[in-house]
Amino acid sequence: MDPYFYLIILAGAVAGASTGFLGVYIVGMRMPFIGTCISHAAMAGTVMSYLVGISPSAGAILLSVLCAMPLAAIAPDRSKLDTNVGLGIVFSLMLGLTFLGIGFVEGSRSEILGLLWGNILFVDSRAFLAVVVTAAALTLFSWRFNKEMKTILFSRSIASATGIHEQFVYSLFLALCGITLSVNLRLVGGLMIFSLITNPAAAAYQICRGYRAVVLIATLFGVLSAVLGFLASFYFDLPTGACIVIASSAIFALSVVYRKLGSGGD
Amino acid sequence: MPGIELEARDLVVARSAKEILRVDQLRIESGQMVHLIGANGAGKTTLIKVLCGLLRPTRGTVRLNQTDLYGLTGWQRCRLRQRIGYIPQSAEYNADLPFTVREVVAMGRASVRPLLRGLTRSDYRRVDEWIERLDLKDRRDQTFRSLSGGEQQKVLIARAMTQEPNLLMLDEPTSNLDFRWKRKITDLVYQLRDTMKLTVLMISHEISSIGSYSERTILLDRGRILADGPGETVFGGPAMEQAYSCRIRWIQREGQRMMVYENPDGP
Repeated sequence: MDPYFYLIILAGAVAGASTGFLGVYIVGMRMPFIGTCISHAAMAGTVMSYLVGISPSAGAILLSVLCAMPLAAIAPDRSKLDTNVGLGIVFSLMLGLTFLGIGFVEGSRSEILGLLWGNILFVDSRAFLAVVVTAAALTLFSWRFNKEMKTILFSRSIASATGIHEQFVYSLFLALCGITLSVNLRLVGGLMIFSLITNPAAAAYQICRGYRAVVLIATLFGVLSAVLGFLASFYFDLPTGACIVIASSAIFALSVVYRKLGSGGD
Repeated sequence: MPGIELEARDLVVARSAKEILRVDQLRIESGQMVHLIGANGAGKTTLIKVLCGLLRPTRGTVRLNQTDLYGLTGWQRCRLRQRIGYIPQSAEYNADLPFTVREVVAMGRASVRPLLRGLTRSDYRRVDEWIERLDLKDRRDQTFRSLSGGEQQKVLIARAMTQEPNLLMLDEPTSNLDFRWKRKITDLVYQLRDTMKLTVLMISHEISSIGSYSERTILLDRGRILADGPGETVFGGPAMEQAYSCRIRWIQREGQRMMVYENPDGP
């Protein structure tokens, strides 16, 4: 087998693990829309940097983090704006900027569209390294801020009222979320990233008892979705992105069935 | 674990140029148990959030043991807040997550330990002590979401207590509970106040469960303190009629004093 095949599988597995893991917080905080929102910020950043001739990754990361910061300011006790409404506003602005930027691209737009939607089949060693580094940063963050993130996940009000540095940790998490999603977007694409954030974590929440189990199972489900999806697309000659989305949806459906049969969860 | 003294002066919270809370002076002594009552929208939750540092008032000061809560930097305020055990309304915590009881109780130690440090064995010993003390040992490894409302409140109280607070603030801990649990939770809070010498501020809609044993009750109406004093005085006074549009009478039945609501428009 071509070594490139293994690089794709490995890249998919790491991207699946990162997004599955990130999903534990995103789904737990009931803001799955943040995946779409930050993906579109990364897209707008990619288009803008393409237009001004700088690295698309740098532009994507910069705009994703810049978008995540105002969302961090929306606190349950201090703001009248709901996080999901804030996400909707930022999302629509980013979508507008993306299309505006595409409008300025002269000649063929296939290159820029390829950058926007990503493709795991075009992974190179640099992109793979970036995915691995962000996955490591995410793991380090979760390890060092484990106790704070657990409390924030349970209640931002409790975390804030009882002296946890909630605003600081939450902002750091959103910034890391922006970086992870924009780095993975180039590899996984906008559609897949949303399903990889939501489905594995939602499945883990269905069947697990305890935070540690949720983290482990969501990460594992993320890896499984990416690898199974890629293998299905390879052997049956189907579109990779669609196969990964279907694999993650199937895992969620199976976990619901497992829970209904009374085998998992509480 | 001595209690904390709480003082608020000239507090004003305004939204869109409309005052939703105005408290000229409020002083809660160390070790006092205070019930905060009032109709919906009276400003109870706003007041408790201002007092625990969650909501910056438009004007005024809040002092915890003489320290101005809002005069501190964000990081200093976090240190002071570590002394506050806070139990919010159910809408403010995510009860659907599969956290185990032990995990939720252990969250109480999260603010005690500094950033970047994990919980230690001694933290978990304290967690298990409170689980046992509040009779939750059988529920320890069950998920929080699988418990009844009353048991969930007990877990949240255990979480707050592992933090070793000096001040306990509870926002409607007995709402949606049956009368047996309302009494159990209220008794538990009194018991903790007595044994741990805490200062307690508790919002309650269920004035019947506070009963005649409230040593101090504050009645809020449209953002202002209408009455402040022992439960019997406040419940039987004219301010109740203004706040709730009803009168409360005390009756004696089978050796017990009971409250009865009287509808002024009723038969």
